[in-house]
Amino acid sequence: MAMGAMFSALGVAASGMSTYKVWLDAIADNVANVSTVRGMDENAYESKYVVAQSRPGSGHGVRGQIGRGTSVSRIVENDPEGILAYQPDHPLANEEGLVRLPNVDLGEQMTNMIIAQRAYQVNTSVFERARDSYLRALEIGK
Amino acid sequence: MAIISPVSAGLSSATVAPVATPTDSNLSTRSSGAEGFDTAISGALNSLNDQHLYADQLARDAATGNLQSIEDYMIAATEAQLSTQLTVAVRNKALEAFNEIMRMQV
Repeated sequence: MAMGAMFSALGVAASGMSTYKVWLDAIADNVANVSTVRGMDENAYESKYVVAQSRPGSGHGVRGQIGRGTSVSRIVENDPEGILAYQPDHPLANEEGLVRLPNVDLGEQMTNMIIAQRAYQVNTSVFERARDSYLRALEIGK
Repeated sequence: MAIISPVSAGLSSATVAPVATPTDSNLSTRSSGAEGFDTAISGALNSLNDQHLYADQLARDAATGNLQSIEDYMIAATEAQLSTQLTVAVRNKALEAFNEIMRMQV
């Protein structure tokens, strides 16, 4: 998009919003599956981790675009082994009474959720500041 | 001189031609060299139209429940708004310059 380079700060802030939204989605999935129990004959719920990467800018030096923000490069999944728990009364337990619990640390997920939420917010702030700046620039000479 | 060409394009060539002829060499090098203002503004208008079409598409997606992320629409709409204002500002400035030249006492 030709205009995208003109209002580059908007696109950069948007890329941050998109990335942190994916992270929030992954955290939501992890938290939702915090007590998903599986039998020993299948994989445990694999908690998702988002790997972000920076998008390098085009052009050269200060004349070009400094950077094009961030994007999700891949989603890493935790080990399918899970945590083996002895719950002989569980309907999914095998003859030894073992089931697989997901390897999700709720405290860690909540911490990540706050980070992701705040990071999303700060990107919306950047977006608003950039938009206000561009609007102010358009008022020059009026 | 190149700056008034899009505005003068709507007028008859007879009214513009006397204004353009007196500066001979300077004008010819400028108009043949850099990209003309008319092509620049028509390119900008096409890009602006594309942006509005994209924002409209996302608005339709939002209405039909197909929108993947809210920020996509907000960004497309904001960019379309800013681009429109910028285009209008450029047009106003060009028109102002043209009117200024038309008022000039010869």
